[in-house]
Amino acid sequence: MKLIVKIILIFLISINLNAREIGETEITTEDGIEVFQNEKYYLLKQNVKIDSDNFILSADKVKISFDKSLYDITELDAYGSVDFYSEKFQIKGNGNFLNFEVKIEKIKVEGEGSELITKDVKMFSDGFIEVSNLNGNFLLKGINSKLLNEDILIIAENINGNFSKNTEDQEITYLEVHDNSISYVKNNDTEMYAKKINFDNDTSIIELIDNVTIIRNEEKITGDYGTLDTRNNSYKIKSNNQNKVKVIIQNNE
Amino acid sequence: MFIIFLFLIIIFYKQINLNSIIIEENISSLSNADISQPKFAINNDSKKIYITASQGNFINKDEVLLNKNVRFKSNNFSIETEKVIFNRNKQTAKSKTKSMFKSKNATITSDGFNIYDKGNKLIFYGNSYIILK
Repeated sequence: MKLIVKIILIFLISINLNAREIGETEITTEDGIEVFQNEKYYLLKQNVKIDSDNFILSADKVKISFDKSLYDITELDAYGSVDFYSEKFQIKGNGNFLNFEVKIEKIKVEGEGSELITKDVKMFSDGFIEVSNLNGNFLLKGINSKLLNEDILIIAENINGNFSKNTEDQEITYLEVHDNSISYVKNNDTEMYAKKINFDNDTSIIELIDNVTIIRNEEKITGDYGTLDTRNNSYKIKSNNQNKVKVIIQNNE
Repeated sequence: MFIIFLFLIIIFYKQINLNSIIIEENISSLSNADISQPKFAINNDSKKIYITASQGNFINKDEVLLNKNVRFKSNNFSIETEKVIFNRNKQTAKSKTKSMFKSKNATITSDGFNIYDKGNKLIFYGNSYIILK
């Protein structure tokens, strides 16, 4: 019995010998590493796993660019079945390709079914999702791009905006949404459709341009241009043709 | 209890056999070495990589098999392994034995390596493990 306990202890100690210490980054690959010293990058090949204090990442292949030496990472490109999680930045995501620029803290996830999920915001796209942690800028581009948080849902081919760095929650300070077919924004009880939708937090105005439809409760209003004031939830719609604004009031009783 | 005792005896017996094989191999390889404590270098525009080993055997006029305590040392890294084929003409080195690469705040362990392009390019083979500090 004592022997079995000893064997188990030795086994556990040997496992701990391989475990990384605080401050260290541990990388494992199944098909080796190629180091290009002059070009200052190295390739990690097949079933790559990276485990550090700040993040955990897995991918089929990873390219790491460095400055002075291998540890001095400036940029990371991960290819194929990329999956990552950062407890420090409270962000997780996945996609076919990931790019992370260390100095400017900019992350880009690319490919069909890309996801980037933070504490307050969920972002999805079949094109790419790009978020800059330093200035709060974000960009989603491609089909099935979608951004949602507690208050808002945005669906469009181009979603460009900025998260506030001053508040604890990731509040949107400005937004430019564009889709050649139609963009969709749902804010509280109001659904908005237009080719182009802009929002500025300073004015609290959502601007809707071209092919505009606003739906609230049983009201449906269409026109060419509209604005919605998020402070009092009031809206206006106008048309290029004075007689064109259309109001449909549905009675569900 | 008896089974565990038998198991330990088998391990002990196998260990003795293994040790004797290693000693025999050491004696035979020592006697067959063409060069003792060989020293070579890979010359690069910016740096020089010094290569040392306990023994060396000529494979042909360009290639040398370096054996035991093989060490590559430059200003910014070192590699340690047991067997390397060094090509003096092409200035390349290949190993298929367990290798340990060390540079400032980084270590790489792998199942072998290949140094080419005058030491600017390093390939580490197989299951590889990196620690960055």
